[in-house]
Amino acid sequence: MNIPFFGDLPSDVLVAWIFSVILGIIVSIFIIKKKKLPVIWEYIRTTNHRKIGTMYILFGVLFFIRAGIDALFIRTQLALPNNEFWVFQYEKYNEVFTTHGTMMIFFAAMPLLLGLMNVVIPLQIGARDLAFPFLNAVGFWLFLAGAIFFNLAFFFNTTPDVGWTGYAPLSTSEYTPGPSTDYYVFGVQISGLGTIFTALNLIVTIVRHRAPGMKLTRMPLFSWAALITSFLILIAFTVLAIGLYLLMFDRLFGTGFFSGDEGSPVFWQHLFWIFGHPEVYILALPAFGMFSDIIPTFAKKRIFGYPAMVISLALIGFLGFTVWSHHMFTVGLGPMANTFFAITTMLIAVPTGIKVFNWLFTIRGGVLRMTVPMLFSLGFIPSFVMGGVTGVMLSVSAADFQFHDSHFVVAHFHYVILASTILGIFAGLYYWYPKITGYMLDEKLGKWHFWLFLIGYHLTFFPMHISGLQGMPRRVYTYGADEGLTTLNFLSTIGAFLMGVSMLFVVWNLYKTHTKKEKVGNDPWNGRTLEWTVASPSPEHTFDPMPVVKEMDPFWYAKQENRELETTTKTRAAPIAINTIIPILMAFSLFVVAVGLTFTWYWLAIAGGVLLFSLFIIRSLTDERKDHYGKGVETNE
Amino acid sequence: MNDYEIALFKDKQMGFFIYLGVEAIMFATLFATYFIFTPAVKGPHPSDIFEWKSLLLSSFFLLSSSGTLILAEKGFTQGDKRKFLIGLGLTFIFALVFLGLEFSEFYRYVQEGYGISANTFLSAFYVLVGLHAAHVLFGACWMIVLFILYRKKTSTALYTEKLKIFSYYWHFVDVIWIFIIVLVYVPYLM
Amino acid sequence: MKKLSILPIFLFLAGCNITVLDPKSSTGKEQSFLIWFSFGLMTIVVITVFILFAWFVFKYRYTKEKDDVIPKDVKGNLKLELTWTILPVLLLAVLAVPTIAITYDQSPVSDAKEELDGVPIDVKAEQFKWTFTHENGKEVTDELVIPETDAVIFHLKSADIIHSFWVPALAGKVDVFPDKELTYEIKNPEAGTYKGKCAEYCGLQHADMTFDVKVVSAEDYKKYIEEEE
Ligand code: HEA
Ligand code: HEA
Ligand code: CUA
Ligand SMILES: [Cu+2]
Repeated sequence: MNIPFFGDLPSDVLVAWIFSVILGIIVSIFIIKKKKLPVIWEYIRTTNHRKIGTMYILFGVLFFIRAGIDALFIRTQLALPNNEFWVFQYEKYNEVFTTHGTMMIFFAAMPLLLGLMNVVIPLQIGARDLAFPFLNAVGFWLFLAGAIFFNLAFFFNTTPDVGWTGYAPLSTSEYTPGPSTDYYVFGVQISGLGTIFTALNLIVTIVRHRAPGMKLTRMPLFSWAALITSFLILIAFTVLAIGLYLLMFDRLFGTGFFSGDEGSPVFWQHLFWIFGHPEVYILALPAFGMFSDIIPTFAKKRIFGYPAMVISLALIGFLGFTVWSHHMFTVGLGPMANTFFAITTMLIAVPTGIKVFNWLFTIRGGVLRMTVPMLFSLGFIPSFVMGGVTGVMLSVSAADFQFHDSHFVVAHFHYVILASTILGIFAGLYYWYPKITGYMLDEKLGKWHFWLFLIGYHLTFFPMHISGLQGMPRRVYTYGADEGLTTLNFLSTIGAFLMGVSMLFVVWNLYKTHTKKEKVGNDPWNGRTLEWTVASPSPEHTFDPMPVVKEMDPFWYAKQENRELETTTKTRAAPIAINTIIPILMAFSLFVVAVGLTFTWYWLAIAGGVLLFSLFIIRSLTDERKDHYGKGVETNE
Repeated sequence: MNDYEIALFKDKQMGFFIYLGVEAIMFATLFATYFIFTPAVKGPHPSDIFEWKSLLLSSFFLLSSSGTLILAEKGFTQGDKRKFLIGLGLTFIFALVFLGLEFSEFYRYVQEGYGISANTFLSAFYVLVGLHAAHVLFGACWMIVLFILYRKKTSTALYTEKLKIFSYYWHFVDVIWIFIIVLVYVPYLM
Repeated sequence: MKKLSILPIFLFLAGCNITVLDPKSSTGKEQSFLIWFSFGLMTIVVITVFILFAWFVFKYRYTKEKDDVIPKDVKGNLKLELTWTILPVLLLAVLAVPTIAITYDQSPVSDAKEELDGVPIDVKAEQFKWTFTHENGKEVTDELVIPETDAVIFHLKSADIIHSFWVPALAGKVDVFPDKELTYEIKNPEAGTYKGKCAEYCGLQHADMTFDVKVVSAEDYKKYIEEEE
């Protein structure tokens, strides 16, 4: 269909426009009718960790649904051989899996995890907020700016189609001219920057803002996981940032790092996977942390082998940086490199196994309450092991010549990612929902969600192991009727729709919970850690007076012994909360830079840069510390 | 500084050190890129274009600016206003001179046909050294802000904090320059 | 467990003769051996975990009688901890041996033109077709004919971006690069007709970048390369 200004718009884009406009109108009417504008204005300027965490989660869920609907398009197109569903063949298929992968990883899984950390970590360690509330807001808005930038591509029908891995030379301007790939480059770059800041923030918070007496050896495991994950983020996302920086030069300024007769396509792969492999543990470790807190709560029993749990987290993190080339067994690095990376990859199974068995032995001897968060945690264990062992099979390098880039790999990574990250996020959301909103999600609907999702998940991804071995490459939009793939793919598609249906129960649950408006108390789950000592939802000013921590799971043992937690009025200097519009403007100015570079309107890029710089200056002249410093101290004159 | 300020400053200091760690990883990746692509299989060789003279000159200014910054910091803690202003002023001027020299070096290269797309060696050279130059430029602008803040009579504690953070940054940028001298230029000047 | 019991059904649905597990060359056979072998070891792991899991979850689930029970706090157990560190290491060591042996033998390498003995075939990949050049210079597009022989040596190079050469029924894949030539060896292919695919995403028609593979007897191959198009 031809539309002025936009040119030829394919029908899917048109539908998306119409849908978004209608949705936008409905949401606006709702906001105005319910007089929610002040709330939005408040959230835009907030630096409070719970509010920022809530926004992370809100947008994470939104993008999860968007990317999930993409997955349903993929599955519908693949349901039958030689299928022609709507527009999803050729480049549309390529666009849809690129969007699906990129959005799921960067704009759904990451913000959901960061959001949960934002909400929970300060409460768990007895801190009043993250160490740098302002920077926290900057991190969030950068994520959102990057995500919106990436999403815009679709509405202008210039969606990137290079895969979430963006392999060069395909991703250089010679083979994907026009702006499409730039949306990928800048979208990921901007949000990645935000992620780095948030990781930095979390590290300082965890290292320096723990409540008195909360030694590292008494810290809840989710906080431990957040700490180690943050270190992984610092290294991995920085390498990715440089990879994207070089790719930007290749695309816009005529360098040839990754293509031509001097450049090296494999170099991009190295940079990408030095990021990409640690990234999968960045996704998994926080989930491990959540399970390690949830399982003891509902088994009424402390975690088994706490030191081993911490050490294995650290080991996984460390080994995660030594295995990246297992994604590149077929690129001809030679037998030495292939065997080296095969062995290091296998080694990661050991610390992961330690965790699995420690979870199992936490369960052993406990009293298991089958609440929804617990169900998700229990569902995780066998599912994740199934995904983990196919990972070990992939690490057998010569066998990987067969597995690589086939649906076997697709099966592996969905198994591990959905089992750890996604089930973890669901578990965490149900578990901490009272701390975020003050309401408890409905348990019965939650169980529907759990069972449908779990069954759908196995039904979708189990057959993919076999279709991969049957010779189905990934990233192909169709297959022949004679290839023995029909039944397998059809089952996968049914499973995907089951997962979709299960998500509708989440929507229903949210609706129900928020119309019922039944407030819960501080401690609805009979919890063990400090977050359950503060009000639900967590107030802006917490831990005054500060709790004194004498052991692990202090709240639990205090309850057991029928005593109050000891407190002290000697609080440590808390970060200063403010309301400020600068973070969102900073993110916006980077957004402008990205638009300018993408369309080579350099004046606009420069304008964005100038705006950003002015904001830096305003920021340093209106530092919130100004009002708190130098009380009774002389100025420099 | 009182206890409260010290605690907040320690947060900031740690955060900034971590940030510098991030920068270090960035530069390390770019150094690796440079090693991989230099010398390139064809096109200009580094020894064709690097010169001792311009390297020594620009290094002289940038490296001494670390010294002048230390002078400024001393001046500030001693309450010696003149020493402080001269120190910071010199640092600022040296930074500008360095930028001028570097810009003219790049300009000369481009004039001679050694632009960013001439070959992979030059690409790797510009993305690395250029990013460093951008850091110097950023630092120069930062110093302007520091001057303004000084004029605005910021509280001593807050100003001390800001000055310290800046000096970490500036010394870091200098250290990166030393790495650039040793790893980028010197091997091809021998 | 429920999940495991559906496995045979899937195997049945897939017709039991899964392409990659029923390979037609000795290179592929080594690979499928590795797949089966690692699958076997991993089954041990999965079953162990499943049994412990089912047992513990069933035995320690909440029941009315346990309402007031506060379980004993157990901090850990070094012996158990060591057990589940050492046993996996041993298991992986068992897996590592054939992995290393076969990987050493099979890994694609660059610049090995002289060293390898066998029928050489030049493979050129480009968006979106394959060109195979035989020893005597005969060039064919999207159809690969090779003889039943000890070894076929593929020299792979791309004309534009990265592709990947894959004949699932014969052996694993090798990426095809624009900037370097890789050499890959397939040993003892068996006669038959197979499907070849591009396994590295390469743009618009990646899915269509397939080719036909025929393995014929040595004499037929001789005839084939002599005959004009
Ligand atoms: C959350 C994400 C996540 C996690 C946790 C993992 C975990 C692992 N992954 Fe996975 N992986 C991905 C996400 C993840 N992966 C993604 C996204 C890709 C594809 C990217 C792309 O190409 O697009 C990928 C691809 C991928 C490949 C490349 C395949 C290819 O492209 O050819 C390989 C190869 O070695 C691999 C291996 C492993 C291994 C060995 C583990 C191990 O960490 C697993 C360890 C766990 C267990 C083994 C189970 C529990 C252990 C025990 C019960 C103890 C006893 C066990 C033994 C003795 C074996 N993964
Ligand atoms: C966090 C990571 C993540 C997650 C959670 C998922 C989730 C899913 N993925 Fe994803 N996937 C990737 C990461 C992820 N994926 C990556 C990295 C790739 C590789 C991309 C590439 O090759 O570059 C990939 C590729 C990929 C492929 C392979 C494409 C190909 O190679 O040809 C397939 C195919 O089936 C697939 C399917 C699915 C399905 C069915 C889900 C399901 O679990 C999704 C479930 C969710 C929903 C179904 C949403 C439903 C919501 C609703 C219905 C809401 C109702 C509506 C309103 C309220 C308005 N994925
Ligand atoms: Cu060629 Cu895919
Ligand atoms: Cu990996």
